[in-house]
Amino acid sequence: MQHHIENRIYHVEVLPPKQDSEKLEADLERFTNKFNRVMDSGYCCCITDNAMGNLAFQGTEMIEELELEPKPGLVMIHLNTFHTKDDLDRILESCKEMKIEQLLVISGDGSDRLPKLTPADVGATDVESVTSVELLRYIRREYPGVFELGVAFNPYEPEEHEFAKMERKIDAGASFIITQPVIDNHPVVDKLLEKYPDIPVAVEAWMSKNIGLLSEAVGYEVAEDPESFNPVETLKNLHRNYPRCGVYLSLLGFKKQYDRITGLWEQVQSEEVAS
Amino acid sequence: MKMVVCVKQVPGTHDAKIDPETKRIVREGIKAVMNPFDTYAVEEAVKIKEKSGGEVIVMTMGPPRAETVLREAISVGADAGILLSGRAFGGSDTWATSYALAKAIEKIGGVDLVLCGKQAIDGDTAQVGPGIAAQLGWAQATYVMEIPESNNGVITTRRMHEDGWDLCEITLPAVLTVVKDINQPRVPTLKGRLAAQKLDIPVWSPEDIGADEELIGLNGSPTRVVKTNPPPPRGAETLVLNGSPSESAGTLVRELRRRGLL
Amino acid sequence: MIANTDEARTGYRNVWVVAEVLGGQIQKVTYELLGAARSLANDRACEVWCVVMGHGLDGQIEPLFHGGADVVLAVDEPRFAEFVDEDMASVLVRFVDTHKPEIVLCGATTRGRALIPRVAVAANCGLTADCTGLSIDPENGDLLQTRPAFGGNIMATIRCSNHRPQMATVRPRVMNALPADTGRTGRVIREQLLESEKSTLKKVVEIFQDTENAINLADARFIIAGGRGVKGPEGFQLLKRLAERVNGAVGASRAAVDSGWVPYNHQVGQTGQTVQAMVYVACGISGQIQHLVGMQSCDYIIAIDKDPDTPLMQLADVAIVGDLFEVLPEIVREIPRT
Repeated sequence: MQHHIENRIYHVEVLPPKQDSEKLEADLERFTNKFNRVMDSGYCCCITDNAMGNLAFQGTEMIEELELEPKPGLVMIHLNTFHTKDDLDRILESCKEMKIEQLLVISGDGSDRLPKLTPADVGATDVESVTSVELLRYIRREYPGVFELGVAFNPYEPEEHEFAKMERKIDAGASFIITQPVIDNHPVVDKLLEKYPDIPVAVEAWMSKNIGLLSEAVGYEVAEDPESFNPVETLKNLHRNYPRCGVYLSLLGFKKQYDRITGLWEQVQSEEVAS
Repeated sequence: MKMVVCVKQVPGTHDAKIDPETKRIVREGIKAVMNPFDTYAVEEAVKIKEKSGGEVIVMTMGPPRAETVLREAISVGADAGILLSGRAFGGSDTWATSYALAKAIEKIGGVDLVLCGKQAIDGDTAQVGPGIAAQLGWAQATYVMEIPESNNGVITTRRMHEDGWDLCEITLPAVLTVVKDINQPRVPTLKGRLAAQKLDIPVWSPEDIGADEELIGLNGSPTRVVKTNPPPPRGAETLVLNGSPSESAGTLVRELRRRGLL
Repeated sequence: MIANTDEARTGYRNVWVVAEVLGGQIQKVTYELLGAARSLANDRACEVWCVVMGHGLDGQIEPLFHGGADVVLAVDEPRFAEFVDEDMASVLVRFVDTHKPEIVLCGATTRGRALIPRVAVAANCGLTADCTGLSIDPENGDLLQTRPAFGGNIMATIRCSNHRPQMATVRPRVMNALPADTGRTGRVIREQLLESEKSTLKKVVEIFQDTENAINLADARFIIAGGRGVKGPEGFQLLKRLAERVNGAVGASRAAVDSGWVPYNHQVGQTGQTVQAMVYVACGISGQIQHLVGMQSCDYIIAIDKDPDTPLMQLADVAIVGDLFEVLPEIVREIPRT
């Protein structure tokens, strides 16, 4: 992750097609195009894991079936706790084989159709249910030194609780952090950076104009005027406010927006240096 | 082991809102899905196949679009699908449905085991599974929560009852209906999904299965729905208690007493 | 059987109740069905018969007369200590052929719902599941059967004009038993399971019966149910304490069951059980539609949640905004031990 920040490599989130897609072929093609474009830009492609509890195909199987070529260090796989043990192991094995090193380990959202890892599955004895902490411990134990494990940070959750959770995640082996989407800046993210000066952090930039969706995603009302919200300007502000951080782009528009963000990081940095 | 899994496409709902007037559920986001109980039947058949070999054929009766649930089952490991479709099947009640499915099972031939979900979430009758068994004259086990063993023409089932369970050894062929507790259905893989899209699914008409036209569809259905009504409203406003825990508890218990519920 | 003429239909007479026998004991639902049958029989000016298939039925026949039966057709058979649905169905089909009842009612229990569809197919007659209302059409004497469909979103009225008998299952706690009339008596017909009806296809090899802790959600007047907000198996102990105090049962949402906090037979909802308790207390259950369809028919719904805006809090008759870990013990304290 530190390497990504130093080299101004964006993390670009890409969602695999949903399981119930009625136009799967087209969706697969779109995914392929997006993946290849991110690879060509030298950015890091971050593939979600049943985001929001919607059943979707797995990043690893997408890469395998579509014969995509991940560039070393430029693919990050999300991995949540809603899997069977067999599936979890299969995903980890695939990642290892394909030399995908970065995993974002999250608790995730369930649904009626998704299985949930049990404490026994991941060798946890002291908990009632598996969270990212138990999953981190499991991966670190089963694959020592293979992966770089990251975790999520939600500045919209009650602060004390969120920091306590972060402490457990770091203890369990997390070595980078990605925040929930931040508009311009967030005091709780500032505190996070203060508290963990040695851990690389990427702030998430909400690239959709639909700010209402963001409130839904983080579970808290994000006070922002939907009329005046400008994702690209907000991204610039993030670079200015968090020069030490990487940036994770969610819901990036590949048609027009992608070109506008290409080189943006460098541009903001040189402006900042100049001023 | 040759297995047939009978599945049904039903309206699924993701979301509910409460109508403040009637206190009744307003469904939102309705989408056709495989009946949830049937996903467990499919998974169980695939597991049996993986353990002791055999073939899993998934079958449904419905309009042409019901084919999607067959492909869904194929994407998680069923080998083939059959769609019973035709205008004459329309309006079937559980009697006529079990007759048509039984005729198709006879036509497939050599079937050892039929699996169904406990019930469909639209009709909620739980009648088709035992109905198929009766049509075929086979043994049955309903509310099956575990299949500890299946070999040499005998299957062992654990049936769930209100007051516990029993373990039955059943001579095949037989019909089983399963509950959610039996397994955790797998999620389709992309490989499975792509393979399922390519597979041809034969459509069988009433003539194809040799059905007596007096016994299928509306003709073959003894029951008739004569009218449908919305359920009566749930009634009065919600009494919201947001005082201290002891205040709320006190008010609640007084309210229960007043209504003669305690 | 097909009975599409008045003449054919008049050949069928009397209202039958198939008794629910668990662990050798006739269950409450049987008396509820006798109550319903009595009223239908009054309208049809006919008798109420009760068919009992079980083992060790001594002493349990008389109460059926007190509950409204005129005739009890009893098969006391060692094999029926177990639930062998194939054999029981064969016996019932023979009885139906011989005695030609006009209406057959059975409990919508796991056993009833396994047995009756088999009989309906073999006897070629219509069957309506989970009826909540039964009445006689004054114009032609047909049985009008009302049942919820789509998880209670629609009430459908069903009739079955051209086949006899007319069969229906009814959930426990939907109908009312009559007050026991100890002066009533009736006629007993003792019958046997025939050799030819003994199926060799099924062998019950082990039975686990836990009548004391039976999770009879269908039968419970009070259900105390917990969801994700209960946070773990310890939380369910709190629910259990209240359930014990009000002589109720513990229910659970799918989330709680899938987390492994409570066994599946506690699950209320679309992939669990549908319940119709008098009082339903939902603790820390937000109320996904899959849960709501399983409990919305309960008479009085109480929800306890920190969040006042969940669907269940809106559906509830009483919504307690608060921490269930604080509220539940207070409720227990308010209800004296009996």
